[in-house]
Amino acid sequence: MNQNKFKRVWPIAMLVPVLALGACSDGNGGANSGTASSGGGGRAEGGTWTGTITMYAQAYTPNAKNISGIQAEQKMLATLAEAYEAEHPGIDIQFVDEEFKDYTQTVRVKAAAGEMFDVFWGQWADLNGTLPKGIAVDLTPYLNAPNPYLPDQDKWVDAMNETVVNETVAPGGEHYNINGDYVATAFFYNKDLFEQAGIEELPTTWNELLALAAQLQEAGIVPMSQAPDYGWFQRHFLSDFYAEEYDTIAGFDEAPGVSSKDEAVAIHKGILSTGDERLMAWWPIFKTFTDTWKPDYLTADVAVVTETARNDFLAGKTAIFYDGSWVPNLARDAQIQFELGSFNFPILEPSVTPLTNGLDVSGAVGGPNAAFQFAVATKEANKTMKEPGKLEAVIDWLHFIGTPGHVEQVVNENGTFVPTWPGTSPNAEMKELAEQSTQALRVVSIGNSSANLLKDIQRTFGLYLSGNIGLEEATESVQKALDAAQNEYKTKNDIDFSAY
Amino acid sequence: MRLKARTAMALTGYAFILPTFVFLIWFMYYPVYQALSGAFTYWDGFNPPAFIGLDNFRRMLSDDVLGQSTINALIWVAFAVLLAVLPSFLVAELIFHVRKSRWQYVYRTIFVLPIVIPMVVTILLWRFVYQGDGAINQLFALFGLEHWQQLWLGDPDIALYAIIFMGVPWINPFNLLIFYAGLQSIPKEVIEAAKLDGATGWRRVLRLDIPLSLPQFRLIVILTLIGSLQNIIPPLVMTGGGPGYSTYVPILHMYNVSTVNGEFGYGMAIALVIFVVILAFTIVNMRLVKSDA
Repeated sequence: MNQNKFKRVWPIAMLVPVLALGACSDGNGGANSGTASSGGGGRAEGGTWTGTITMYAQAYTPNAKNISGIQAEQKMLATLAEAYEAEHPGIDIQFVDEEFKDYTQTVRVKAAAGEMFDVFWGQWADLNGTLPKGIAVDLTPYLNAPNPYLPDQDKWVDAMNETVVNETVAPGGEHYNINGDYVATAFFYNKDLFEQAGIEELPTTWNELLALAAQLQEAGIVPMSQAPDYGWFQRHFLSDFYAEEYDTIAGFDEAPGVSSKDEAVAIHKGILSTGDERLMAWWPIFKTFTDTWKPDYLTADVAVVTETARNDFLAGKTAIFYDGSWVPNLARDAQIQFELGSFNFPILEPSVTPLTNGLDVSGAVGGPNAAFQFAVATKEANKTMKEPGKLEAVIDWLHFIGTPGHVEQVVNENGTFVPTWPGTSPNAEMKELAEQSTQALRVVSIGNSSANLLKDIQRTFGLYLSGNIGLEEATESVQKALDAAQNEYKTKNDIDFSAY
Repeated sequence: MRLKARTAMALTGYAFILPTFVFLIWFMYYPVYQALSGAFTYWDGFNPPAFIGLDNFRRMLSDDVLGQSTINALIWVAFAVLLAVLPSFLVAELIFHVRKSRWQYVYRTIFVLPIVIPMVVTILLWRFVYQGDGAINQLFALFGLEHWQQLWLGDPDIALYAIIFMGVPWINPFNLLIFYAGLQSIPKEVIEAAKLDGATGWRRVLRLDIPLSLPQFRLIVILTLIGSLQNIIPPLVMTGGGPGYSTYVPILHMYNVSTVNGEFGYGMAIALVIFVVILAFTIVNMRLVKSDA
């Protein structure tokens, strides 16, 4: 009897220490889970820390073998790292050579595990709104202090692009990244196919663009075939239509730029709402253009089909592809058999819609959202940042690469983007697209007040453009998404909309 | 003394299985516990979770996307069960009736061989097959049937069915082997007796093989139900849930609200409900199989 009792109790007794182990876990996969982001030990006291600094430099990753669109010979950051390491014995800079299909998701997961890279590529809009608060260090105090590698500047921020710094500030006044480059977007086209269709002049107005698409169709050429990215195209139209109200929309949070707070308030006040005809008026206009596209990808998830659609273009199957300034590099990698050209998003004429202000909004999609966008992980997002002196060491590395000279070297070696800091200049072949970076950043768009808003509208957008639903149904669906977004923003941020 | 020896032996045994227990609890039960407790919180996946009671479950009741996803999942499950059972059973019957065992072996091998192809490869292949200028539409064009051409993954009325019906001829090697083993286990005496009674051909299949294969049918039906509810890869890779939400399923919704929207609390609530549904199916499965054991 006693033995039987012992037999019954023993397995439970064995479980106790196991469960206790589980209870001791920190909820992030275990207190003793490995910290992949940093090797090497730390030595106490600022300036004397030694160890490894990990950096995910996205398009500027040196000697990259796993990231598409990067030239094999790109090595500028590695050269700078070598120079820095020589000046700072005991510091080792390691670059992460990995391509992440869903980077936001990667950041979330790595930060939750406390394994974020020490320095990581992070775009300001994501850091200010999409990603959870507390992942990146607020760099404002460092921006307002001297950079030891810029002895002539009182503050590091003085070496940066003032407009960009002002426009990318978070609602609370924080700056979560150093922002050194600009991405341009454009219609890239196949010069051979244009020649075959007898096209000699590039379009500068909307009607000219439509005429061009029709001319290509008549020649039996597919003008375009890609997922119509709502997040991108809305910026061209809304920035034009809402231009006169930009200051009102951007002013709700009393800080420059349209923040997620500005957007939520504008939705609540009915400005960025379907009740205002400007929000949906561009959909039928845009549909006149997408009706000339091959319909395959109109309803598709942008993330799922963009690469396939781009490959169709690079293979010469379609004449035009709307994309970022990284296309020439990808075209070179793909060893395309045609000459590549580009033209900017055209200007809308009053004959197309009376809502237009006739502005050049070709730079509204691009902006300070390229790859020289570096943030520093907090100690919560990266356990190794708790090591005494490591944060200062990481900031010092950021100081080192964050000088106009180094920004220009790194950005121009890649050849895809435009350096924005005063005193820098772009590569000669980027001069045409670089004109976009001189435009004022007065961009109106929706999608930042809720993580799901843009994805939700994209689904409706695709269904509308493909003719599966009408404008009325689409409008209802968009308003529903906007209502959900403002409610979500209100719940998460405890904001009283009536105060605005 | 005897007790000590027994205790030592028991301890040794438990020591051997202890690592398995640790990993089992750590990787299987602890996440379930986390999901269970997280379902009642608002958690962005990074900052400390905030307890919000039943709010996530209330939200599920008014979540239109989840509603659409559930309908899609039910359609999916219904067709998945048919496709899991019928073709595999038919082929198992055909192979079972091949006279020479050597040829049975050859056919079995042929039908089981595709198992080496990873599922993602199959899915990506079918994505190309379904493209506007993919193999299906090209075949239609070849036979002058252009009016049958469709945007298989681009039409919200078709996309779900296109995903469900990919993988022609829908012969699942595992199911095939299970059915085949079931047919092999039918006693020869029973088959001979049936022959004498005139049960041959389809009559034998309907009167003898199917009734005696019911345990296999039940097992495959339940496993398919569970597998279909957990199957996130095809819609994620092929359509991302689109066009619109026409190929969205609850498991994809759970994945997206968690990892894309950063609403891990709500994602865990959806996961918890899916878990309960799957657990219910599993219990039903265990009871059904047990009843025939």
